[in-house]
Amino acid sequence: MHRRTGLVTFAALLVLALALPAAAQTPRHGGELTFVVPSEPPSYDAHQEETFGLIHPIAPHYNTLLRVDPVDKTGTKPVGDLAESWTISKDQLTYTFKLRRGVKFHDGSEMTSKDVKATYDKIIKPPAGVKSLRASAYESVKSVEAPDPSTIRFTLKWPESSFLLNLASPWNWIYRADIIAKDPHWYEKNINGTGPFKFVEHVKGSHWVGKKNPDYWDKGKPYLDGYRAIFISNSAAQVAAIRGERALIQFRGFSPPERDSLVQALGSKITVQESPWDCLNFVSMHHEKKPFNDKRVRRAMSLALDRYAGSAALSKITIVRDVGGILVPGTPYATPPGELEKLAGYGRDINANRAEAKRLLKEAGVPDGFAFTFKNRGIPHPYEPLGIWLIDQWRQIGFNVKQEIVEASAYHPMLKRGDFEVAMDFQCGFIVEPDLDLARFVSTSDANYGKHKDTAIDDLYSRQARATDPEERKKAIRQLEKRLLDDEAHVIYTLQWHRIIPHNSRVHGWTITPSHYLNNQLDTVWLSE
Amino acid sequence: MWRYLFKRFLLMFPTMLGVAVITFVLIRVIPGDVVELRYAGDRGAVSQELLDKERTRIGLDQPVWKQFLVWMAGVVRLDFGQSMWTGAPIWEELKLRFALSLQVAVMATVIAVALAIPLGVLSALRQDTWLDYAVRLFSMAGLATPSFWLGIVFILALLITFKWVPPMVFTPFWVNPWENMVQLIWPALAVGYRYSAVATRMTRSAMLEVLREDYIRTARAKGLVQKLILSRHALKNAMLPVVTVVAIEFAFLIGGLVVTEQVFNLNGLGLLFVQAVAHRDYTLLQALVMLVASFFIIVNFAMDVMYAWLDPRIRYR
Repeated sequence: MHRRTGLVTFAALLVLALALPAAAQTPRHGGELTFVVPSEPPSYDAHQEETFGLIHPIAPHYNTLLRVDPVDKTGTKPVGDLAESWTISKDQLTYTFKLRRGVKFHDGSEMTSKDVKATYDKIIKPPAGVKSLRASAYESVKSVEAPDPSTIRFTLKWPESSFLLNLASPWNWIYRADIIAKDPHWYEKNINGTGPFKFVEHVKGSHWVGKKNPDYWDKGKPYLDGYRAIFISNSAAQVAAIRGERALIQFRGFSPPERDSLVQALGSKITVQESPWDCLNFVSMHHEKKPFNDKRVRRAMSLALDRYAGSAALSKITIVRDVGGILVPGTPYATPPGELEKLAGYGRDINANRAEAKRLLKEAGVPDGFAFTFKNRGIPHPYEPLGIWLIDQWRQIGFNVKQEIVEASAYHPMLKRGDFEVAMDFQCGFIVEPDLDLARFVSTSDANYGKHKDTAIDDLYSRQARATDPEERKKAIRQLEKRLLDDEAHVIYTLQWHRIIPHNSRVHGWTITPSHYLNNQLDTVWLSE
Repeated sequence: MWRYLFKRFLLMFPTMLGVAVITFVLIRVIPGDVVELRYAGDRGAVSQELLDKERTRIGLDQPVWKQFLVWMAGVVRLDFGQSMWTGAPIWEELKLRFALSLQVAVMATVIAVALAIPLGVLSALRQDTWLDYAVRLFSMAGLATPSFWLGIVFILALLITFKWVPPMVFTPFWVNPWENMVQLIWPALAVGYRYSAVATRMTRSAMLEVLREDYIRTARAKGLVQKLILSRHALKNAMLPVVTVVAIEFAFLIGGLVVTEQVFNLNGLGLLFVQAVAHRDYTLLQALVMLVASFFIIVNFAMDVMYAWLDPRIRYR
């Protein structure tokens, strides 16, 4: 009897213990979220911009056809936004989406498939004089049709594994067809979306304000009454804003010392979310300049790096951490640790790696190393500490490296001109998707700054892009990775960026993802008392 | 005197033209352009075709001399065109920031003058006493302390002591005077302190020089009271170099508070300058330099008028 009573009591306590946090997490309506945006939008049209400075303040005014699941920490799971459901044909060439009904633009007009079609037509085949930065991501699209007001159909020329995630791109805001037809530039200076918040004001250089859309299609959302994005470029001022509670969050990321100072000052009033970041610095070596045309030299440069010790030291001072392969650790196509350690420069025995590096240099006819200039970008995090680390590592095998800091604005032109022997390069994706993250390594890519020509890489890229079976795709990606980082060592990957968001503990309903372009609609965000 | 003023006025125009030419050429010497920066951002993989199209659209494909002539034609009509980065009219970008920068400059000047003149005069009158040493120490510390560093100290002190920072968004004075002052008093104090140090040193040395003049000795010999000697004879004559320093510092503050504006997140002309350079926004940068140069030139002209008022030798030339 006593035992039974004890069990019942335990069960009751367990239920209570589980229920309490759930009750405590019930979203609360009301309040204004103030957040910091370190950059500012040049225009209001996401189809033609590249900066998160546009996504963070303006995304809450819009919806996309699909979105990345706001609670998925890997940032790789597409869910419906304006699409309620979808079907994919067996040959994976036809994608049919059923749209939500009763969705209204902020001007009161109804959203239909005509608007989705007009939006995608603008993105894929922009009219003359209109820019679309991501048109090339939809080369596989044969047609976009709107057979009825609540159906939209995409027909592809070939199957494409990334297609669904590409439709969840945070840049593809759905615009009103009539407006685009009348003036395709209208959205550059005006806002009219279907999103959870309506536009109130933008004071240039100062702030952006949005208020709750009471007619939002997702009933009960958004929870906030409104939001205010404050533009603050200086990182010390950003930290001061969070610390002084002038702002509650900054959605891009802070450095480890900034996180530590906020935690130390605010204690339990601050919550820290961290994730591997879909951004990475790698080293490009100019393949048309000797001796970097010799893969033995390039491999030796990768073998010289003690990535694991580097990770431990650098993750304390800058925004890098994980040792990873060509895709973000922890995401579906990431390299398993066992396989990663087999790649040149990723083995745990650094002495063996460096001995192999020296052997390769001897074989290449430069046994004592040589001198070269390493061009780095004049940005404190993480370029400068990473640059110093790389130079130190290369010195260990005999290289004499001179670092030349290139001012941030002159950095891209330098890479494009090919005016370097060895340079810090970088990759930053808006969704963790192999097609997007690896496109730059195709020989014909405009961003192939090292100018390698490798048809095997090109073929493997196409193979993984068109693979319909995820396992087959994984295999192609692993082969591409081995060729890119090991066999040919066309580039040298350093460490994965690490995203750190210390935010006020009053902010709830926001989940960090590996991309600072994702999860900015704010419909799920709420503030506790 | 009118002839003197007219000559000074005419000199403003070749100066402006010189500024226009130098700015136009210099900004184009820096590598990189606005198109490259805007479209080769985080992912960096934009086609050359798109970049070329955009350069054509904003006229960067034209020869430099042609771009200059088009721009100058606009400047003559006071039309500075559109920002190459945002596409917004330049005037719209400037007017937003000008009010804030002007207010900070005025507040800093008021603080500086209110501190500098009494301290400088007292220091000169009590030369080599403890009061003089204290004022000199105070002003030397001001000269040695960068304004932005003092700004950081203010912010940290406020955060640590009161767990409070000044507002990060500008509220115009006529909308909410309290909010406005609470935000701007800190940068004005940080800037005003250094500014006052310069003016205090100048007031002290000018006063010391004037107090040793024959006409002061004569006034004393005639039995004039000290107050009258100081206000009517010494101070007015000592003000010439002080006015020069104050005016130049004031003009500098419009657009010169680059780092201080970042520390306090002030949406002023200094921050806009940095952004315009970073974005290679040629049209905006040219307009900004022209604006600040015009301000300097106008302040300089006002100073010439003031000289004529303060110094009869100029007036009666």
